[in-house]
Amino acid sequence: MYAKIFSGSLFGLEGEIIKVETDIAPGMPVFNVVGLPDTAVKEARERIRAALINSGCRFPMRRITVNLSPADTRKEGTYFDLPIALGLLAAEGDLILAPSMMEGCAFIGELSLEGDLVSVRGALPLAIALREKGIRRLVLPKDNLEEVQILEDMKFYPISDLKEIVAVLEDRKSVIPWVTGAKNHIGRTCAVSVPELDFSQVRGQERAKRALQISAAGGHSLLLIGPPGAGKTMLARRLPGILPPMNYEEILEVTKIYSAAGELPGNRGVIAQRPFRAPHHTISAAALAGGGAKPKPGEISLAHGGVLFLDEIPEFGRRSLEVLRQPLEEKQITISRTSGTAAFPSDFLLIAACNPCPCGFYGDGTERCQCSAGQIHSYMAKLSGPLMDRIDMHIELSRIGWEELNPACETEDMSLDSKTLREAVCAARELQKRRYRDTGISCNAQLQQNAVNRYCQITAEAGTLMRNAFARLPLSARSCKKILLLARTIADLEGSEKIQAEQIAEAIQYRNLDRIRF
Amino acid sequence: MRIEKRKIEKITYEEIGFPLSLLEISGMPKELYYYGDLSICRKPCAAIVGSRKSTTYGKWAASELAGCAADAGITVVSGMAWGIDSAAHRGALEREGKTVAVLGGGVDVCYPARNRQLYEEIAEHGLLLSEQPPGQRPLPGMFPARNRIISGLCSLVAVVEAGLNSGSLITADFALKQNKEVCAVPGNINCISSFGTNKLIQDGAVPIIVPADLPRLMGLKDVYTVGRMAEKKERAKDCLGADEKTVLAVLSDGKEKTMDELCQRTGISAGHMSAVVTVLEMKGFVCTDLGKIYIAN
Repeated sequence: MYAKIFSGSLFGLEGEIIKVETDIAPGMPVFNVVGLPDTAVKEARERIRAALINSGCRFPMRRITVNLSPADTRKEGTYFDLPIALGLLAAEGDLILAPSMMEGCAFIGELSLEGDLVSVRGALPLAIALREKGIRRLVLPKDNLEEVQILEDMKFYPISDLKEIVAVLEDRKSVIPWVTGAKNHIGRTCAVSVPELDFSQVRGQERAKRALQISAAGGHSLLLIGPPGAGKTMLARRLPGILPPMNYEEILEVTKIYSAAGELPGNRGVIAQRPFRAPHHTISAAALAGGGAKPKPGEISLAHGGVLFLDEIPEFGRRSLEVLRQPLEEKQITISRTSGTAAFPSDFLLIAACNPCPCGFYGDGTERCQCSAGQIHSYMAKLSGPLMDRIDMHIELSRIGWEELNPACETEDMSLDSKTLREAVCAARELQKRRYRDTGISCNAQLQQNAVNRYCQITAEAGTLMRNAFARLPLSARSCKKILLLARTIADLEGSEKIQAEQIAEAIQYRNLDRIRF
Repeated sequence: MRIEKRKIEKITYEEIGFPLSLLEISGMPKELYYYGDLSICRKPCAAIVGSRKSTTYGKWAASELAGCAADAGITVVSGMAWGIDSAAHRGALEREGKTVAVLGGGVDVCYPARNRQLYEEIAEHGLLLSEQPPGQRPLPGMFPARNRIISGLCSLVAVVEAGLNSGSLITADFALKQNKEVCAVPGNINCISSFGTNKLIQDGAVPIIVPADLPRLMGLKDVYTVGRMAEKKERAKDCLGADEKTVLAVLSDGKEKTMDELCQRTGISAGHMSAVVTVLEMKGFVCTDLGKIYIAN
């Protein structure tokens, strides 16, 4: 006898409908799965046999053929355990699958030997792909419900074991408790905003906070140079907190990526905070950019919508930094394999950090620097290169002295907190959204050369200052555009339409590495 | 601009034009190779030397001393090493003074290689000098030897910053043996990079406490006196804004400060402070380096 059940499979972030066909015929007992299954899928046979028997169902000792259609694409993942098990029961005649139930309905889930349903990786991107292809109902493991229930126009039936679904399908009069997907489910599932990371906890470093605010407001990449202990990591960690809160589309995008990577916290839930990723500098190029035989998102995609923090950037391998260039430009990365091409989004804010010299203490008031002049120079020389050229801002940090750390000593508390900084950032981002509405870019940092003149209008006074600055200070011509873009963001933060002279003067101070040093 | 080999001249100690000051030192060089105008060695010469790993303060001091010397018509002699030597050469060139770079290897070998730009500027506006024939790569043993030429050419040697084992102390040694005036720029006593210079002062070197000391110790007056420069600065100060004057006042104790420190002392916000510092830099009142801001005098 024959049975047909819909399921799905994921490649990268794209999915497709897979028809699971089961045929049982008389003959020597054999259990074949065809349709280019990979090892995990082939191993499903053992899991299904044990799960069926332990659920009190009959395992047919006949000639079983399961086809995963279309038969010419590789099938990966453990999505098919459930539909194959149900297909076996249906083809054997132990279960009747009513057409009204099966129409537009897909089944996914991994089975344990006991018959329990185990959650799968990538449930959300798979659900989105299936919805696009016309599936409106999805039967899936209970633990995957949290991530998918934010999808509208879909109904979900979360089940915990095989016995449950079999009982429901057998009794055709039973009403299935479908869960309808809705946007407002986000409030229920996501973690509350992390209050322990706030800029008011960072003492001093007002200049750095200002620079981070500009970075957040305009999407400008930033390099922090300072000795160990200056607070570079502490500052970077608080940056996602002053970015505007994610909207529904962004939450969906980021959760999709984390789901496909298997990185959802505790294997469930929705990512509603902007991510912060800080890979160690020994990371491989593939882990950074994405890859693997079955394409998985890399750190740059896990930082999508948030912040990628590269600490000790001169220690990163040249190759690893090379693979960053294109994604930085195109905001996505494409991974090609013989089995297909997967594209992962990678739109992140890049923060890099380094020491001023190999031992870290050059220029520090108190410690003595152990490095030779040659070492210092070649360390800083590593910073010039195609990636460094793309970094929009550089600032130097110093370690905070005891007086600043001790709150009792503070005469005037100028410490800005995250809420204040974020409000200004959100207002600036709104301005940019309106300004670039139909142009395909979303923030000042993405402005191309030909559009700079149109959007970065400067006052006459600003023009004079710019000319004088280039004459008197050792700035390079290449930094001209970068200074204008930074000034544009500063002007947005202050709500001025045209760029003022003072804003250009401030922007110049964030390009200190351009100055020729000896 | 490459050094044209044919323009490299050679002069022996018997010929006219050989720097007279070098004839008097023990172990004098028998022959010299040079590129540029040898006659600048006839003007009063002062050596400004120091460690390769210099601090912001040291670079500023070397540059200022050299600029002052240039204003007074003194030729600045140094070794074109990284750090203090380079700052001194640049300080002289910026004030359109004359400078001599005495190299460890041949005059056509730019060492250190990353000083290429400075090397070409000195070739064009100053003098490149060496005891070694063209093409000779500088070997470690040649540097102490070249130091005796640096001190030999000059009537005064100023050590700006030296750690415990700096090569510039060797130059000071030669200067003593050659009966030249040795001066040193003092530094903070908690600063390892000033230990050598402070020790020199303790051992009897003359301390330099203002840039104008250099020409004065050589018996010359700083032609464009401190007075005139100060006058110009005072007039320029009048067209400073209120915030700029406030910041300048905080910096006037001479110590370098970070921008955060300036914000704390003045109450000006971080963003506005950046703008003020840029303007002050452009007007020549302050310098910045590695995040530290200090007054330019």
